[in-house]
Amino acid sequence: MAGPRLPTLAWRNIWRNRRRTLITLVSIAFGTLLAVIATGIGDSSYSTMIDHAARLGGGHVIVQNGEYAQQPSLKRTVRADPAAMDAIRAEPEVRAVVGRVSGGVMLATSTNNVGAGVIAIDPAAEDATTLGLVDSITRGAMFGSASDEGIILGKKLAENLDLELGRKVVYTVTDKRGEIATGLARVTGILETGALEIDAGTCLMPIDSFRATLGYAPDEVTQVAIFLADHRDSELVAKRVASEQGAAFGDEVAVLPWYEANRDLAGFVTMKTTGALFMELLVTLLITAGIFNTLFVSVMERMRELGVLAAIGFSSRQLFALVVWESVWLGLCGIVAGVLLCAWPYHYLSTVGLDTAAMTGGGGTQVSGITMSQVLYVELYPPHAVFIAFAVVFATVAAGLYPAYRAGKVSPVEAIRVI
Amino acid sequence: MSAPASALAATSAEIIVRLVGVEKHYRQGKIDVPALRGLDLEVRRGEFMALTGPSGSGKTTALNIIGGLDKPSKGHVFVEGRDLATMSRTELSRLRRDKIGFVFQAYNLVPVLTAFENAEMVLRLQGMPSHERHERITKLLDDVGLAGMHDRKPAEMSGGQQQRVAIARAIAPGPLVTLADEPTANVDSTTAEMLLSLMEKLNRERGVTFIFSTHDPRVMARARRIVRMVDGKIESDEIKPEIEG
Repeated sequence: MAGPRLPTLAWRNIWRNRRRTLITLVSIAFGTLLAVIATGIGDSSYSTMIDHAARLGGGHVIVQNGEYAQQPSLKRTVRADPAAMDAIRAEPEVRAVVGRVSGGVMLATSTNNVGAGVIAIDPAAEDATTLGLVDSITRGAMFGSASDEGIILGKKLAENLDLELGRKVVYTVTDKRGEIATGLARVTGILETGALEIDAGTCLMPIDSFRATLGYAPDEVTQVAIFLADHRDSELVAKRVASEQGAAFGDEVAVLPWYEANRDLAGFVTMKTTGALFMELLVTLLITAGIFNTLFVSVMERMRELGVLAAIGFSSRQLFALVVWESVWLGLCGIVAGVLLCAWPYHYLSTVGLDTAAMTGGGGTQVSGITMSQVLYVELYPPHAVFIAFAVVFATVAAGLYPAYRAGKVSPVEAIRVI
Repeated sequence: MSAPASALAATSAEIIVRLVGVEKHYRQGKIDVPALRGLDLEVRRGEFMALTGPSGSGKTTALNIIGGLDKPSKGHVFVEGRDLATMSRTELSRLRRDKIGFVFQAYNLVPVLTAFENAEMVLRLQGMPSHERHERITKLLDDVGLAGMHDRKPAEMSGGQQQRVAIARAIAPGPLVTLADEPTANVDSTTAEMLLSLMEKLNRERGVTFIFSTHDPRVMARARRIVRMVDGKIESDEIKPEIEG
């Protein structure tokens, strides 16, 4: 390279005033820590919520009738084609694929009639990793098979119907032809999630028995739920399934990623991430102001020296680049300091977590019927980690631009006064 | 005693710096302060020249203008025939890098660089290959009496040693002219004599052209041409007899 080794000179310059540089690095490191923890908590919380929602609803990717989203009805079905289901299961991102029938039923006992949402499942194909409600069965047990006559009721729903384990309940639905159809089920379990929306309005039934009542074909379902190892692959998988397997499920099929199927949750996540981004921008601005102050004072202190460098032949561009290099070094050292500062808190919060039960009174928060965990964990998405690293360097370099401009504009004769 | 070859050649040597009717005015509030009032001066290759005069006579301003650090309010400055007024900021930077050496009263070395790195800095700016730089700076530092001190930083050297590094930095690129403002002002008399001997030797042996701004009688005693300035004008321009040859 023609010219001096500006990076070397810049590196030595930033260590002239060690204390000032260390204070600056500490401020960058704390800013990085704040960004990592805040973003990591967000990433972890939203992942948990999305996975939770997937396990309560239709998975990370939902295959359903194209009109089902606008007008949910047991008449709007798709075919759970076994070959297509197997092909989807073979995708590397896919963890599980199940067919379900979801809709509304009227439950009746001798004492009461209550409307409820039903999810009809195959107990052999489902577990807590595909249906979170399975984990919430607090009394009794899951029905034995898909053709069982069992039913699992939400706790509040059971109370409203005055039902206990082993008792019978009549359910009424509108079948595929639009006729009223009735079936009988025996309560095999009671589930309790803590979310009133679910506990008072949800029941689980065996899919084959329910299909028979509805007059469905053996592979007919209202939804095919696809569960992924990582919800961030939902768009990719939805597109692939739509293009490669879509036709196998029927003529009017919609393949939706979770954020299209659950717009409330998607809106909530977007709102929160936007808010977090705004906060991070504010923090970045504060850090930038601190770095600017350091670099500006450093340049103003060295105006005479910069004037001498200009006098002996440094061009404006080289003086500008020298100070920019100083800010780049500060940014890179800041990242290293940030990583060192983040290491232990990140490890602790990603493994042990932060129990917020005491702060929230132990009640938990619900979003779209999904109860958020009381323990906050940190899990930073790799792209977000890269973004934070770039943001730190960008903020540092941006903070150095004006001091660098001043350095480049130095008038040697004014800076030196005398030669 | 015969005159040195470079000195003998000086009167007939080419003119490298020429000032024509140079005026410089500064504003102090609403007051116009003239620093130079129609300065005409020619400097030939190989000269060892002192600009003298009382404080405020315009010596430093004249050096600043010759070095392209400042621009005249009126008149023209030619360095190797090129009018500095026609040169851009970048061209002036290159001119200072390649043609002008500066020796500052306060040394003004970069504190984070060693003696070697300070001296080689301009050569790096010029893009000189590493081995050439190393060879040239090693010899130069040895010539100015800093053998074994190449790795010392300014804070680890005396004032005289720092000024030697500054001289080495100034002459390392082989400039057309080296401008030195009160180069002996911050050192003791013994060191001042040593520095003057060094610059005299560089002038004689390497043909380096020096222009000093000085009050120091020791500098004036060694200079072969003394230009005395008063109130921004040349009062006298004396070439010593031995130079006239």
